[in-house]
Amino acid sequence: MASAFKYGVSTYSYVDDYGSIMTLEDAFDHISDTGATGIEILGEGQIEGYPEPSSAWLDNWFSLLNRYNLEPTNMCSWVDMRLTLSHNLTVEEGTAELERDLRLAHKLGFKFLRPKFGVTSFDLIPETNWEAYVERNLDLAHKLDVIMCPEIHAPTPIKHQVVDGYINFIERTGTKNFGLMVDTGIFQDRPLTHWGSHQINEEARKHMEFLNGIAVNPEEFLDIAKYVVFIQAKFHDIDDNLHDLNIPWKPVISAIKRSGYSGYLSSEYEGLRAPWRAIDQVRRQHVLLRQLEREYDEGKFA
Amino acid sequence: MLEHQLIQSTGFRNFGPAGARQGFAVRIRIPNYHGTRLSQLDGFDVTLDGEHFDHEVNRFGIRDEVYTMAQMREETVARWGLLEWGEILVDKPGGLLPGVHKVEVLARIRYSYFPPDVHIFPMRAERFATICIA
Repeated sequence: MASAFKYGVSTYSYVDDYGSIMTLEDAFDHISDTGATGIEILGEGQIEGYPEPSSAWLDNWFSLLNRYNLEPTNMCSWVDMRLTLSHNLTVEEGTAELERDLRLAHKLGFKFLRPKFGVTSFDLIPETNWEAYVERNLDLAHKLDVIMCPEIHAPTPIKHQVVDGYINFIERTGTKNFGLMVDTGIFQDRPLTHWGSHQINEEARKHMEFLNGIAVNPEEFLDIAKYVVFIQAKFHDIDDNLHDLNIPWKPVISAIKRSGYSGYLSSEYEGLRAPWRAIDQVRRQHVLLRQLEREYDEGKFA
Repeated sequence: MLEHQLIQSTGFRNFGPAGARQGFAVRIRIPNYHGTRLSQLDGFDVTLDGEHFDHEVNRFGIRDEVYTMAQMREETVARWGLLEWGEILVDKPGGLLPGVHKVEVLARIRYSYFPPDVHIFPMRAERFATICIA
């Protein structure tokens, strides 16, 4: 039998609900009740007082992990290239930003850190300094046992120089502390009607054609699987019959299963932000994904 | 706790001395899904009952500090946390009359990881909100 997936949820799923109708403990409760074993957070989001949470906050964090029986999976962070309108980060500054988040992720028990680098082009070529930020932190990441993993996110497909650049870096350094995170939004093959909390006007949509779906062939996952360390199970809308309206899960799950991946599928809901909608949408996705994994294991599809 | 929408009901108020109000404040939650350095915000346009107030002029208050647009653009240390509210301070001598007003906000957020042409990303919201005290 193929390896089993681990199931988690990102608190990103609950944006807009979070802080209004949902506390951090509520988020733990909702995640735990799906049967998930992992919690993913936004570093500068759920961590009050970021980047230096109080000891009271830290005590509460570990107490919640224990009470709800969840393990910290991935912490998202940002390396804001354009620090001000007139000053871009230097190598030293960017390295320090990444180091700060690595140490914080480790302190909270996370095994993965997703840094979001600045980009310089329409197809999201990362700023050239990313490589220096990461390389200068490889020893620290090794010592802390944290894997840094930038995400492969629409509109960047798998066959793209961004992905090649990350893979070349892994091959050149031989590191085990840097890998790829795949956001399943790259497999979206039907247009979105809502995009998270953003209200998209025609002007914005013109700049973001990827909202119609870039429809990466799921089979291409097999080409990069050995570098993939984490999967954000991005989705936007699952209807009352458990049909996802944008992501073709069956071929996606098939490809991921055949690759032998046994890490997390961490739910990342990015649909309409009506109050309480995300909570049930995440539950629907967990039923849908578990059902497909079971059917694959039973040989009902290949 | 915050209200779900960007523009909050509570905190929509006149500021300045009673009888000689200097303007009005619009309380908002952060127009982003994570906390942010203030330098990553590029101001807030406000349209109140059809009258436009530009982001270059409006100020921003958070905790006990008030920032002009120029100050906010250079503020790389102070941050706006996800669970904190901030307020847009709009100069309007005399303030607003008690009652229901149409409030529109266009928040300009900077995302280094968005393509250069939408690096300053606009987020719009509008609602009716109520001034209680003249």
